[in-house]
Amino acid sequence: MIQPQELTTHDEESPLMPKPTQQVAKLKQGTVLDHLRAGTGLRCLRVLKLPPGTTVLVGINLTSKSHGKKDLVKIERYELSEAEAAKVALISPDATISIIRDYKVVGKHGLHPPIAFRGLLRCTNPACIVHTERIAGSFVVESRDPLTVRCDYCERSITADQFEFA
Amino acid sequence: MVTARDFLGRDVLTVGEFRRDELLFLLDAADKFERVTGTLLAGRVVATLFFEPSTRTRLSFESAVGRLGGSCIGFAEAGISSMAKGETVADTVRVVQGYCDLLLLRHPKEGTARLAAEFADIPVVNCGDGAHQHPTQTFVDLYTIRRECGRIDGLKIVFAGDLRYGRAVHSLVHVLTQFKAHVTLVAPDFLRLPQEQLRALDEMGVEYREMEDLEAAVPEADVLYMTRVQQERFTDPHEYLKFRDAYTLDLKILRRAKPEIVILHPLPRVTEIATEVDNHPHAAYFRQAHYGVAVRKALIALLLGHAEKVL
Repeated sequence: MIQPQELTTHDEESPLMPKPTQQVAKLKQGTVLDHLRAGTGLRCLRVLKLPPGTTVLVGINLTSKSHGKKDLVKIERYELSEAEAAKVALISPDATISIIRDYKVVGKHGLHPPIAFRGLLRCTNPACIVHTERIAGSFVVESRDPLTVRCDYCERSITADQFEFA
Repeated sequence: MVTARDFLGRDVLTVGEFRRDELLFLLDAADKFERVTGTLLAGRVVATLFFEPSTRTRLSFESAVGRLGGSCIGFAEAGISSMAKGETVADTVRVVQGYCDLLLLRHPKEGTARLAAEFADIPVVNCGDGAHQHPTQTFVDLYTIRRECGRIDGLKIVFAGDLRYGRAVHSLVHVLTQFKAHVTLVAPDFLRLPQEQLRALDEMGVEYREMEDLEAAVPEADVLYMTRVQQERFTDPHEYLKFRDAYTLDLKILRRAKPEIVILHPLPRVTEIATEVDNHPHAAYFRQAHYGVAVRKALIALLLGHAEKVL
């Protein structure tokens, strides 16, 4: 259940965010994705494919001290798995994730793309064997900035703007 | 120091997995294996799983195995394998590995050899996976260059033709980075070397030039590596026809070449080398195809642990 309280963001400069008098939703339980790169919040939600009916609060282009602009996503009563968090990290490598239980942050850390992973992305090379064998894609991170991964099978490099999530 | 044991049981999937000293060890081994025949591989069985047509690679492997006393099983096209019934490569590999000691695999899809290696407990040799890699062709190319030129280091090597889809070029260009070769890439814009390959060359600090004019590139070449436009990789046949005759090397162009130039081609040839060039003293492409047996004899013996008696 979302209760009206101060928004528990960590960036106090956003116009949509926290002035002491401003009443916005505070999570009782769930996940907060903060410091998402501006413009990536909705893409994260599309990729996460949350259960139907999940309550979500999205802030887009909020002002951020550290990044200039950022997006923010609050997901009620849903704690992201490691694999789901890894997907977010592949979209927005500098984001933070906070797990909220009973209004308290019980875990918070920065997201980092995994060094190597299987199953999160699809290889974009139509000639790659993974498509005909119907196996999960397997990748290694080739570069973190700009984020680029390489398919273990065909060795094709894929940049973040080309990512197709599994 | 590299020894024969470094090759024992190893998969051969990409050339990037081989260091310079390992490559030179293999070339030295090929020299020693050239005239070796006998029963070194007696009782050993090699499977050739060729889901795509091949003449030189398959036959030279089969010749290599036969000359060393081993035997080959397998198929030469997908239509006569269980793939025609819908069997996956993974299942085919899991079954066939029970019949043999070594898997030689060619497949039109990129990355198939790595997939096969994940499912096989015996060594897998990539004999070409789509436009990706063809490492044993690269070993043969390196062997040919060293044999014909006496060295590899510092040579000026000109690649011409379909650099986009030609997997032999992708593998050889990659490995030449270990030999300080000067690379010139001659191709129409559509058939340029893929961006990842160019980026890899940049990252390794390799000097290379890109050109479209073959005649302008020939005079500086120590080695001229011609390639066929890969019809089977084009989705649009009209596009193929547009580029099929992009370059034809003839004696007129070769008049501007260094007298000691070595002309290579992974074959088959279509129109990119005029037949009048075949009698040029440095047209080495048929010898290149023949060297494949020596190199593959050495490689198989090394992978199966039978090379030490010869080395």
